[in-house]
This record gives sequence, C-alpha cells and structure tokens, in this order.
Amino acid sequence: MALVTGAAGGIGGAAADALEAAGHDVVRTDLPVDVADEEAMAGLVAETEAERGPIEVLVNCAGHIVETPIERISDEEWNRMLHVHLGGTWHTCRAVGPRMGARGRGAIVNVSSELALCGAELHAHYCAAKGAIVGLTRALALELAPRGVRVNSVAPGATDTALLTDTWRTPGYLESLPVRRLSTPAEIGATVAFLASDAASYVTGQVVSPNSGAVV
Amino acid sequence: MTGAATGIGAATADLLEERGYAVARNHLPGQRVAGHSAEADVSDPAAVARMVENVTRDLGPVDVLVANAAHMVMGGIDEVGAREFWRVVDTNLTGTFSCIRACAPGMAERGFGRIVSVASEWGLTGWPRATAYSASKAGIVSLTRAAARELGPRGVTANAVAPGIIDTPQLQVDADDAGLPLAELLERYAGQVPLGRVGRPAEVAEVIAHLVSDEAGTITGQIVSVNGGTV
Repeated sequence: MALVTGAAGGIGGAAADALEAAGHDVVRTDLPVDVADEEAMAGLVAETEAERGPIEVLVNCAGHIVETPIERISDEEWNRMLHVHLGGTWHTCRAVGPRMGARGRGAIVNVSSELALCGAELHAHYCAAKGAIVGLTRALALELAPRGVRVNSVAPGATDTALLTDTWRTPGYLESLPVRRLSTPAEIGATVAFLASDAASYVTGQVVSPNSGAVV
Repeated sequence: MTGAATGIGAATADLLEERGYAVARNHLPGQRVAGHSAEADVSDPAAVARMVENVTRDLGPVDVLVANAAHMVMGGIDEVGAREFWRVVDTNLTGTFSCIRACAPGMAERGFGRIVSVASEWGLTGWPRATAYSASKAGIVSLTRAAARELGPRGVTANAVAPGIIDTPQLQVDADDAGLPLAELLERYAGQVPLGRVGRPAEVAEVIAHLVSDEAGTITGQIVSVNGGTV
C-alpha cells in the first residue's frame, strides 16, 4: 500500500495516479488532516495500516507556497511554512520509517523543490523549508538503509499546477529554461513513482530534479 | 549503446531491447556482443562517426544515446604515464563527446533526443590511485551539463548517471591494483555501502531507462547517483 500526502494537489495527485498505475493500493490524504499535527499523522498512519495493510511506499507532497519579502515574513508565516513542509515530512517519516524498517522493506519519496537548490527572492521561508527536506532525506537514507528502506527526494522545477504562481509563467522565464516549458504534474509523478519502485533498488539518499534544465 | 559488451552497457542494452528499442551495441574490435554489433573504439572520433553512420543506415536514426564505454587504469599519480592517462581520457571523455557530436545534430533536427552518459561516483568524489579515471568522469559531468543547456531548446535532454561500486568486470582492475581477490574486494566495498551491498548492472540500467523515457522530458542536466547511499 502507498500513502501520499498532499494528494489533492497537482503533483501529489499525479504521484498517486502514477503509483496506482504501477499497481499500488493508494491512500490519498490532504487537508483537513493537517500534516503539521504530529498526533494526527501518527494516528492516521496507525489507522491506515490497521485497515489497509503495511505502508510500502510513502510520498510526502503536502505543501503550500507564499511569496513574501523577508521583512514581511511574520513569525506565524515562517513557522507555518516549516511546520507543514519540514514538520509534515518529519511526522510521517517518523511514524512510517520504523514500521518499514521492522519489516525490512520500504521506499520513501519526499517532494522538495528546485528552489531548495538554487534559492529565489521572496521565497526565503519556502527555500529554507524545502532545503531542510533535502537534509532530512539524506540523514534518513543513511539511518534506514541497513533496514532495507530507501529514502529519496524529488525536487521539481516549475510545474504546471494550480499552486504555481505567475512568477514562473512569464514568457521571459520560460524562455530562460533550456527545455523552454514547465513540467507537467504527470512528469513529476512518473519520477516519484520510479524512485518508489523496485527499479530504483540501488538509489537512496538522492535528489532528482526534473526542472527543465533550470538548475544543473 | 556504447561499451555494450559487458557490465552496465550489456545490462542497459538488454533492458532497452526489452522495452522495445532497436539497440546497436558498440564494442571494441575483437569483442563480441549478443545483439546488433556496432564496432568502434570510441577514443577514435573518425571511428565513432563511421559507426553512427552505419547504425543509422542499418537501424534508423539514433533517438537515444547511452555513452558508457570506459577504460580504467589504476596507479599512483607518479606511476601513471602520459600514454595511459590519455588513453583513459580519450576513451571516457573524448569518446563521450564524439558520440554526442555524432548523434546530437540528427536528434535536434528531429526535435527529440535522449542522451545519458555514464559518469561515476569517483568523478564526484575523486578516488586515490584513480586520478585519470576520476578526472575523465568529472569531465563527463560538466560535458553533460553543457550539452543539456545547448540541446534543451531543440528537444534533446542530456543527463548522467553516477554509479557507485557495481559488480562489473571493470572491478577486476581495482582488485588487481589492491592485490586482493575480487570476492574480497567486493566484500570490503559492500561493508562501506549504507544498503550493505554492491550494486548490480541491471540496477544502473533501470535508472538509465527512466532517464531516456518519454516521461523524463524535463529532466535534463542532472546527475543521478546510483550508489546504495554512499554519497
């Protein structure tokens, strides 16, 4: 069984679809179940495993994006950004990782962002949170590898979803991309599903960035 | 598929054939391959050009290039002579460049192409007694990024995989240099890998197959490590 957070969103939905197409029974979660609420996530994981069986694949995709100049990022906005992206990823990994480890098998894919690799103005909190996901992914990969669990990250570039702001849709920006277009959610979903699959059995601790060549 | 006689090249050729591609298998003169043979020493640019012409005539235009052919020499910096050094660089780096140069224009003209070069973890980290090899593989990393920027607007992606320790015949060179039986070297390496084992050629082939797939159209200029978690 595969658990996907943020599955109501473009990338989360596409990842869930790709996992389903690969034959997984997929459980899709999204708000109002809040990934930032550790107790709620631990409960969801326990309940899901009791009802649907062991979680073999975990995809952390829940997130949001806000563009704000540094001096206007309130403590509240900063904390919410970290608690959803980093906290949410951490909560599910902590609940699911040891269970996978005890079974000697599992794959986790955490969705980061190209902006974690290159930074972007007006995105200080988003970049910090997505960067932290990369660090968390690498640490968990090392810790869980001896127990047969792989942990990787996908760092999408600008992807054509409802969340994508106008900043990334201007002709000038598209023209700056070597591939000259946005990624489709399905393309990101395919990479998530690949890393979650047994075909990626020797890939762990890696960050794969489908970003149209924006960050190489 | 260059360097298709053994190891990662053979496994990738097999997998791509299984996925429905017509695969031309490059090999050195004197080697044998299971499928369609494409003989050339990739360190010779003229031989590469002839090979691509022949393959295009026999099997059609090249849509996918996997540049994997490699030569490895191990030895201390003061031990490796200029001739050996250039043999490694000419095969690994110039060979990759010659293959890209021969295939990319046709891909760009048709508006579609997938290039995957096989770099190495040692190209990212460096490795003692493998200076020529590390340098050549690091060169492939930058070549890949430059090709991605240049060819992206014309529908061609260029990526690299960076395998860690994979159970291939090439490891024999490493074992000989260390003065160890291959089995013992493999065991030693396995102990250093977070996943607790060395990789299989087929596991690298799977990553290459993903990078050349239609779905990987916005993955370009990327270096994907296949190493069991070492880096």
